[in-house]
Amino acid sequence: MTSDGSAAAGDGPMAAVDGSTAAMVAAPMLAVRDLRVASASGTIVAGLDLTVAPGETVAIVGESGSGKSMTVKALTGLLPEGVRATGRMELPGRAELAQGSSGLSGRAGLVEGRSGQAGRAAPTEEPAGPSEPTGRSRHAGSSGHVGSSGHVGSSGHVGSSGHVGSSGHAGSSGHAGPFGHAGPAGRSGREIDLAAQGTIWRDVRGSRIALLLQDPFTSLSPVHRCGEQIGWAISGRGRAERVARLLAEVGLPADVAEKYPFQLSGGMRQRVAIAAGLAADPDLLIADEPTTALDVTTQHEVLELIAGLQRERDMGLILITHDLRLARSRADRIMVMYAGRLVEEGPTALVMDAPAHPYTARLAACDPPITHRLPVLPTIPGSVPQPSSVGAECAFAARCAFAVDACRMAEPALAEVAEGHRAACLRPETAGLPVDVPPSPAETVPPPPAVAVPLPPAATVSSSPAETVPSSPAETVSPSPEHSGRGREAAASLFHAGEDQGIPASPLLSVEGLAKTFPGSAVPALDGVDLTIAAGETVAVVGESGSGKTTLARCVVGLERADTGRIDFHGTATGARRVQIVFQDPYSALNPGLTVGTSLAEALRAAGRPKSEVGELLELVGLPAAYARRRPRALSGGERQRVAIARALAPRADLLVCDESVSALDVSVQAQVLNLLADLRRRLGLTLLFITHDLAVARQIADRVYVMHHGRVVETGPVDSVLGAPAHEYTQRLLASIPAAD
Amino acid sequence: MSPRPDSTANGRSRRIPVVAIVSAALLAFVAICALAQEIIAPKALEQDIYLGVVGGGVDGHLFGTDQLGRDILQLSLAGARSALAGPVVVAVGSMLIGFFLGTYAGYRGGIVDMLAGRYADLLLALPAVLLAIVVAGLVGRGYWVTVVVLIVLFSPSDVRLVRGAVIEQAPRPYIESARVLGIRPSRIMFRHIAPNIVPIVVANLLLNVAFALVALSSLSYLGLGVPPGAPDWGRQLADGRQLLGDNPLAAVVPGVLIILTATAVNLLGDWLSDLLDRRVVAR
Ligand SMILES: Nc1ncnc2c1ncn2[C@@H]1O[C@H](COP(=O)(O)OP(=O)(O)OP(=O)(O)O)[C@@H](O)[C@H]1O
Ligand code: SF4
Ligand SMILES: [Mg+2]
Repeated sequence: MTSDGSAAAGDGPMAAVDGSTAAMVAAPMLAVRDLRVASASGTIVAGLDLTVAPGETVAIVGESGSGKSMTVKALTGLLPEGVRATGRMELPGRAELAQGSSGLSGRAGLVEGRSGQAGRAAPTEEPAGPSEPTGRSRHAGSSGHVGSSGHVGSSGHVGSSGHVGSSGHAGSSGHAGPFGHAGPAGRSGREIDLAAQGTIWRDVRGSRIALLLQDPFTSLSPVHRCGEQIGWAISGRGRAERVARLLAEVGLPADVAEKYPFQLSGGMRQRVAIAAGLAADPDLLIADEPTTALDVTTQHEVLELIAGLQRERDMGLILITHDLRLARSRADRIMVMYAGRLVEEGPTALVMDAPAHPYTARLAACDPPITHRLPVLPTIPGSVPQPSSVGAECAFAARCAFAVDACRMAEPALAEVAEGHRAACLRPETAGLPVDVPPSPAETVPPPPAVAVPLPPAATVSSSPAETVPSSPAETVSPSPEHSGRGREAAASLFHAGEDQGIPASPLLSVEGLAKTFPGSAVPALDGVDLTIAAGETVAVVGESGSGKTTLARCVVGLERADTGRIDFHGTATGARRVQIVFQDPYSALNPGLTVGTSLAEALRAAGRPKSEVGELLELVGLPAAYARRRPRALSGGERQRVAIARALAPRADLLVCDESVSALDVSVQAQVLNLLADLRRRLGLTLLFITHDLAVARQIADRVYVMHHGRVVETGPVDSVLGAPAHEYTQRLLASIPAAD
Repeated sequence: MSPRPDSTANGRSRRIPVVAIVSAALLAFVAICALAQEIIAPKALEQDIYLGVVGGGVDGHLFGTDQLGRDILQLSLAGARSALAGPVVVAVGSMLIGFFLGTYAGYRGGIVDMLAGRYADLLLALPAVLLAIVVAGLVGRGYWVTVVVLIVLFSPSDVRLVRGAVIEQAPRPYIESARVLGIRPSRIMFRHIAPNIVPIVVANLLLNVAFALVALSSLSYLGLGVPPGAPDWGRQLADGRQLLGDNPLAAVVPGVLIILTATAVNLLGDWLSDLLDRRVVAR
């Protein structure tokens, strides 16, 4: 448990905030203190404070499993069974805020440095006034009393009586409590014990906090018309008009009310979900990866929509995302989570441009740039540890290039590095330093414990000159440099045994006039597509969802049959040796019931190759051969994707089609897999057809790019010229939708 | 990305619920009776005509006797065999048809799928009991004739169920990857798809055992199943009707046994499918 760390985190900066400055600060509309989430298997979120001011956008970023979703689920009482939260949340109504802070009703400046900082500092801070019995009891559940016993007494605060102590606060001058200015007790503001269960949450979710999820399919009911669903939160008469108004507000035609979710596109569904969330006029909107499932242009529109609605309503917004570019373009403040901990927070500009935690800096570096191509993408060696496995140490220490002994002695507390900017790092000054040294094929990463991702040596950016190779646990075979070099060469040579190494760049695949209309659909998915790929080339196909990219890929591998047009392979290979595919979702890419070895052996056998090549295949994608015995369940997403790639390589096909193969991965893992593909291409002379909606990814991997729109290729050419100087209006629009371009 | 801990594999879900334990115990008892009928109920068919019908507790007959003077307890224990054997054969038989036909139809689509669909429609349209009566008239009555008729009648819903589950699995990336890799369709069907639909198959199998038990008992009750005098709960129920005045237990005991057994099978099926489901889903 890390209660010490978080208590200290609260203590550190509070001394800096004295009563008088805090009094000037605008009231946060949400203040969460010491949120902890745990399941039977251990800690999930290890102590987190969070405030949101009206009209403010706070982004929570972090990689998969860092606890972002669990945090927001805890704030809405939606934790899955077996997962419990502790902590306290204050959630005064907007009306109450307006009254209590009448002098500060203007929103301007709310989101800037000082206000945010004080708001954050406040929740863990005891009132400055020495004699405040009520205030003290009010804080009974905070860090000093971790555990449910500390919260028992607090249940009395649940409900509108929660502000028993706040009148005392209001009276005391210069106190620092976030809601001290709130009116007399009995107003609608409330302090909620996050460990509470049951009906209290219905009220919170219904009218105070709205939650928007990644896939609106999961939050919308499939069997009810959209209008009905939007109307659920509206009581009384005039429901139909309000529904119509909400639909107009989110930019949907009125007839959507009569439709079912499945009749709408992803973007429209998300708009319906937004309308339904806004129906009860919430104070705070929490959006958990609201646009991850949408393509760039739709993503842009939905985010604009949310921003507009937020301005109008002065709504607070918590934006959960793994996309740093998006966080940068939308948020006032950014909170970076790592392994269930808050490692850095502060105003967006400070966090992004002057990160004070090495993790933030490394994560940002993994994000491929749209403007140019990097020879090798920076990666973070290793993988995110389970929050519960982190002891009294810096959670990032195992992967940090700047780690010193002190980092492994105690968990660093959040400490202020600049006004409103805090980081949990002992050496915040190192964060900005470069760690990228040119990769050398001999480098290996420390083999992490059982769950981690061993990187392919050639694709790794070593993070520290002093990095050593610790002795590996029995199961993870960490190839020594020489050994791994040999292994890879042997594996690579396998692919070219008896083949001509110096193949001329003749077309390997040519597609002509491909057209396909799915039955029951009015518009064609493919509308006369021409495409060629030369041997050894990497070609990217980009476009929004519904532009026909995936249909094209599926036709090429034979999973779909085109209505008209030709697909010609010019190689000599037949069947499985012509083309293989790697799909998007690593979690359904492998049969959950078969071990990795069985899956690979099966692929090898189908291609008429000996089973004994399983180990080489795994080594080729940078996994220890011992992984053959594992089941997919025991692999991370990145590792599964590697296995999927290994399986696709088994028949040694001429062409590898990647259908959004990295889009479900975290940036750091995405960088690893992109590096792996580039490396395989170099070593095996692989030809790649890479389908992606992410232009930056296309930039990194492809030689040439095809831009698709409505089933047609609208622009094609070398990746630098198409993305650098787009000729077609649609390409320009795609580029303009990228968050960083805002 | 770190692997999600298999949250369902530990903690509370490890404990087997009491309901499942009780159901399993009851079914085990019924199964033992069915297997060891000769040992457990050796005197099931012994008639004590001089005694006639007596109520519970008389002359060492715990539940009394029936119209032929047979001990209700022994007779009921002996009835376990026909209560279990037939329904299990019906459920397994119809699921075998459903499994192969449904998998094939679901995975291959096209003409096979269409024919399987027609077959299912046709059979579902026929009134089951009427068909059983007609078949009994043509072939002669008998327990196993009824069992075969029920297999045929139960199979269409199994075909549909399996077909649906297969259709749901077929577009998954790991199946499509297997197709692109050129793995044989039969292997894809039975090695990749089948294990992942096991939960639904097992659940339905047990559900069908319960249904078949009730169906067979009803047919016996109507005089279509077992020959007169054979130990069978449905038959006992029918015979016990006339004895309600003299020994109500003659009807109550087999009735309760039918209900208990059918319920236990159902509950066990629920639990088992939950368990398997989580195993398959856990990833
Ligand atoms: N139902 C559950 N029971 C127990 N632990 C869970 C459960 N669901 C998720 N977890 C664990 O909680 C941790 C945090 O998960 P969470 O979903 O909050 O991550 P996230 O940051 O939202 O990741 P992503 O970017 O993938 O959405 C993970 O380690 C995960 O394994
Ligand atoms: S320098 Fe130390 S405290 Fe800072 S991130 Fe690295 S390991 Fe953690
Ligand atoms: Mg999440």
